[in-house]
Amino acid sequence: MFNGLVLGALLALISSGLTIIYGTLGVLNLAHGAMFMIGGYAGYVAYQLSGSFLVAIAAGAIFMMFVGIVMERLIIRHFYSRPHEDQILVTFGLGIVYVETIRFFFGSLSKSVPAPSWATGITNLGFMIYPTYRLAVIGIVAIALLVLYLLLYRTKLGMIVRAGIEDAVMVGSLGINVYRVFMIVFGIGAMAAGFAGIVNVPVAPITPDIGEAILVEAFVVVVIGGVGSFPGAVLGGLIAGEILSITAMFDPSLSQAMLFAVMTLVLMLRPHGLLGSQGRS
Amino acid sequence: MTVFDKPRTRRAFLQAGSVLAGGALLPSGLILPAFAAEHPALGTYPAGSSGDSVFVGISVPRTGTYAASGEDLIKGYVLAIEHLNAGHDLMHKISPNLKKGVLGKTVKYGIADSQAKPNTAVQALSKFISENKAVMMTGSVSSAEAVANNKLAQREKVIYLPGISGSNDTTGKDCVRYSFRECFYAETAAKAIAPVLIKNIGKNKKIAFLTPDYTYGHTVRQSMEEHLKAGGWTVATNQVSPLGTTDFSSYLLNVANSGADVVININFGRDAVLSIKQAKDFGIIGKMTLVVPYNTPFLAKEVGADIMAGVFAATDYWWTLEEKFPLAKMFNDAFRGKYKSNPEWGANAAYMQVAMWADAVERAKTFYPPEVIKAYEAGYKVQSTVGEVWFRGADHQLVRPVIVTRGKKPADMKGPDDYYDVVDVVPGEGLMQAPDAFGCKLGDYT
Amino acid sequence: MVKRTLLRRRWLPDLLTALGLLIAPYILPFAGFVPDTMNRILVFGLFGIGFDLLFGYTGLLSFGQSAFFGTGGFFAAYLLTRAGLSSVVLGLAIGTVVAAITGYLIGFIALRRTGIYFAMITVAIAEVFFFVENSPLAAFTGGENGLPGVPSPTFYLGFTTIHITSGWSMYGFIAVCYLIGMVIARQIVRSPVGHILIAIRDNPQRAAAVGHDVQKYKHLVFVIAAAYAGLAGGLLGVLQGYMPPEAFTFDTSGQLVMQAVIGGLGTLFGPLVGATVWLYLRDFLQGPLALGASWKLALGVIFVLLVCFLRRGIIGALKDLWALTVTRGAAEAQPAEASAAETAAAMAAPLPPSSHALTGSSGPILQVKGVTKRYGGLVANGDIDFTVQHGELRAVIGPNGAGKSTFFKLLTCEVAPTSGTIIFEGRDITGMSVTDVCQLGLTKSYQVNQLFSNLTVRENLTIAALAEARGRFRVDVLRNVDTMPGVSEQVMHTAALVNLTHRLDIPVSALAYGEKRRLEIGLALATSPSLLLLDEPLAGMSPSERVETVKLLKSIRQGRTLVIIEHDMDAIFEMAERITVLHEGRVLVEGTPAEIQGNKMVQEAYLGGVLE
Repeated sequence: MFNGLVLGALLALISSGLTIIYGTLGVLNLAHGAMFMIGGYAGYVAYQLSGSFLVAIAAGAIFMMFVGIVMERLIIRHFYSRPHEDQILVTFGLGIVYVETIRFFFGSLSKSVPAPSWATGITNLGFMIYPTYRLAVIGIVAIALLVLYLLLYRTKLGMIVRAGIEDAVMVGSLGINVYRVFMIVFGIGAMAAGFAGIVNVPVAPITPDIGEAILVEAFVVVVIGGVGSFPGAVLGGLIAGEILSITAMFDPSLSQAMLFAVMTLVLMLRPHGLLGSQGRS
Repeated sequence: MTVFDKPRTRRAFLQAGSVLAGGALLPSGLILPAFAAEHPALGTYPAGSSGDSVFVGISVPRTGTYAASGEDLIKGYVLAIEHLNAGHDLMHKISPNLKKGVLGKTVKYGIADSQAKPNTAVQALSKFISENKAVMMTGSVSSAEAVANNKLAQREKVIYLPGISGSNDTTGKDCVRYSFRECFYAETAAKAIAPVLIKNIGKNKKIAFLTPDYTYGHTVRQSMEEHLKAGGWTVATNQVSPLGTTDFSSYLLNVANSGADVVININFGRDAVLSIKQAKDFGIIGKMTLVVPYNTPFLAKEVGADIMAGVFAATDYWWTLEEKFPLAKMFNDAFRGKYKSNPEWGANAAYMQVAMWADAVERAKTFYPPEVIKAYEAGYKVQSTVGEVWFRGADHQLVRPVIVTRGKKPADMKGPDDYYDVVDVVPGEGLMQAPDAFGCKLGDYT
Repeated sequence: MVKRTLLRRRWLPDLLTALGLLIAPYILPFAGFVPDTMNRILVFGLFGIGFDLLFGYTGLLSFGQSAFFGTGGFFAAYLLTRAGLSSVVLGLAIGTVVAAITGYLIGFIALRRTGIYFAMITVAIAEVFFFVENSPLAAFTGGENGLPGVPSPTFYLGFTTIHITSGWSMYGFIAVCYLIGMVIARQIVRSPVGHILIAIRDNPQRAAAVGHDVQKYKHLVFVIAAAYAGLAGGLLGVLQGYMPPEAFTFDTSGQLVMQAVIGGLGTLFGPLVGATVWLYLRDFLQGPLALGASWKLALGVIFVLLVCFLRRGIIGALKDLWALTVTRGAAEAQPAEASAAETAAAMAAPLPPSSHALTGSSGPILQVKGVTKRYGGLVANGDIDFTVQHGELRAVIGPNGAGKSTFFKLLTCEVAPTSGTIIFEGRDITGMSVTDVCQLGLTKSYQVNQLFSNLTVRENLTIAALAEARGRFRVDVLRNVDTMPGVSEQVMHTAALVNLTHRLDIPVSALAYGEKRRLEIGLALATSPSLLLLDEPLAGMSPSERVETVKLLKSIRQGRTLVIIEHDMDAIFEMAERITVLHEGRVLVEGTPAEIQGNKMVQEAYLGGVLE
């Protein structure tokens, strides 16, 4: 149970980026897994140069935000008016380009960043022993999610973003520069992915392909929680984490299948996910 | 699919050809038809070997999670082919029959990315057969690839040599007449490492298995369990994880609570790296002894020497064997000369596969596949980088030693690559099961 | 003359396909294609035909076609290897049927959602299939090793036996399969079913509202796509003598979608073109270009560029290019005006017999008793009693927010009432579906146009007419729309009624607003309703358009019962026999135009409405 919480926390963070982008821009970003991966590599490079974990985290997040903004301006922007399938395909293609570019520069062997010194070792929780860094991850993710929450629910930008999720046309007609908002939203979504990417490196060393499996899980999380819903992504992440860890206790070979089965069930019973709105479908 | 024309460029080759056609080399023109008439057409014979070069098709993963091992294999293949064409001394040591090229023909090759997917691998190799008339195909990092390619080889009557493939099935129930495996596998790995474990760790220990959920994983676990029974070892838990798992925490928590003394981690490739790293995080390494019965190339480099210290592993080749085997020294030197790094076991397997194929062809004195296969099956003893080895005719498995290593403490390492002590080089003869124990039925020659 | 053109148009593509498949082996090898690559292209092309019907034609984006590809493939492979079935063709057929049955069952789950959710469910189901194949069913499927040893087909022809081996003979076998698949798919597209599928992609709500059982047609095309996938999967196993486990992976579905889109959707040939480009590029980048491990990077870049710049895929781009060169030659050859003869002919055409034409009966056609609709605490319609007589022209008026549109939605069963009953022609239709009600002869023209906006006027009317001619669901894939009795007469007649005869082959998007409004009414009319509801037919029209439309409405009331919601009081008082006034969700009064005009309560209601 407890372990599922840790698993779920990371999934929640990755998925929140995905869901914000989809909710606001209506773009299903299949490059999100690759962006998660790039965040990890950016952090790795920064760590190699600076030796500081905090610098690595900042680098992962900021670099990815930068990549996200450039990507939005150069390519994604031209796809808002095009059909969903085109958006899916172009982000899928970009995902390949990202993965293979990283492979080109870094090779296929995994790279790692050690956990910061204050979070190495093992903590005895009384009922179980647990890696300290994984405990720290819960805290780091909680803070990141809180910041995202404040950004989305306590700022003017957030208000516009949330309004955009409900009705992008309306926001546009209010005289707000929707394109700039979209660019910022994409940047924030990408940053969340990059941040999650580097935070995950001490848990699982990075390779160019690491985003692939995570992307699929993140989609499941988004759908369970409700597409476009930030709280839904958090809830969905925690649920997915629990499903994975609990099923693994009984029959690990079924844990993935179970995840998808639960997602299908949720969609049958609640068409828009647990916390989804009717907004987009 | 990279087609390298070596040693000459294609244009130079064509020019040379036209000059030769002018009459300088008439005898070969006379010999060729007679040569071809010796055997009926079969597979790519005689089309693939009627010119003055032959083609070898290589299919390994270059993208995806097994890409690192794939690139290592490529290094071995390329080096071996260069050595063949140059008549390198090491080739001569392995097969005294060898001069320049194979039966005097230059070896060319193409490389395709299999992405470690059987379907893609078969697709790539099929193209090498139909377009390039490949006389030999090679390469794999997973047994799924190797098995699929085996079947293709048998169907198309073109010899195929697996690269890395650890499942018993490759030369067991999925064996074919047209395929020969160089590397060690579940059964020999288990049989080699088990006595070492019992001797070093003690009797009546409890095991926690980390098993990947596919044929390779299950066969290694079975073999290990069986051979450790001799020391009274029992299974505390067997944690089966799907291929491509990125978070092993659920399994590791179960392992931590199992009361086991030894963790036997059967995962391969990226799964192995992640599970070992995370096992360290969960405090399992240090508390329990880690054993890797089928070592992944570059494992120590990826997880770090501090984690690998004291870890027992069975492997196919480790570069420090150069202290024991002169051929290993020659191989390492050549490899380091070309690539500026030490070879991993995949590169060695790739090199030896090519060399032993050339040897078999030389002894058969033809590229006609049944004759080459018979030359392989004769059980001729070859000097290799790990001593004397030979193919077993009944299942086409190389009888070769298994190397048991133990991770060095970082302080004891003499260089950045000096990760392991070689604990034992266990001779292959005693490790192999009866040839038919895993249901091998080689198919037809034609 | 006309017939011959028709014939040529009908069979020419099939013949060209056959010819193309026949000469490809003599041409493509020069471009570096080997038989194995071409066979794989055909397998994915065949797989893609079904997907194109599903996505390109019907608009259902599935990312889970690998489930059926794998199911068909493994079923056939299992039968042919371990179960000892000797006939390859029979094995393939059984695999195809099993895939179709699987599609039928999965359809019950997946088709309950649309859009992105449908896509996600299909992904999830396909992933579950993969896990099941890989682990629990490994004893049957060989797990990650797949099933090797799938035999090649052998044909005993009496005088000789043909052994299909790999290479060109296999190409022949697969090419025949592809050709059959293509001919069938083209027939489906030509059939009434094909037209309805396109209508569903364009506007599923309206397709349902004109009387087609959208859900069943979606299910049908889902099954068809699954069958194509199953056959293609089986062929993959036969082609390489080995059934690979990755047939089931997301990669397979992803590749299918990409190839279909690169090639061009809604063309049937798109996936073949896409697969050719895809497989050729991967060979080309690794072979002649020798990019080594970077081949995939290059492929990714090319792919992104293709998606960015070719909006309608390769075939779409070629079509555009072709259109550009052709129109330059014969610019503006469109007839600006309808030929008078054509119009006259249409007007003269007898009205086809309608299944629910007025039988001349009198008495109430529609009786509404105590109907209430609540949305949460809000009462949109409260306790409404409403009766319409056969042949009547009734108007429903009321200030904004009076609940008029909700009332119409209740009548056409778009929404179910909270309480009360609705009886149409003596039958209780409360709680029925909008499709059923339309089939009974009650339909509506919408306040906001609900047209099939990517299609022509003729196609729009045909879709509506088909509902009347064929009922809510029928699998008549062997029929051709052009030759269906009554349909084109109905289309011509309706077009003449709404005065669009000269615009029949114009796409809806090119129509003027007034024309769209008339087509909106035409769509409803083409289903031959006995009771037609018109929701603000004059909304947004210019004065001259209004005059014309009022004339139209007067003419169509012959033999029909009409109920009209309208704000244009002049028009209402001119046309209506009786008027019902709704106010705050309830019936305020009902009476003749004269009675309503003088009614105090009505005036107050309207004034109150204005003041608010």
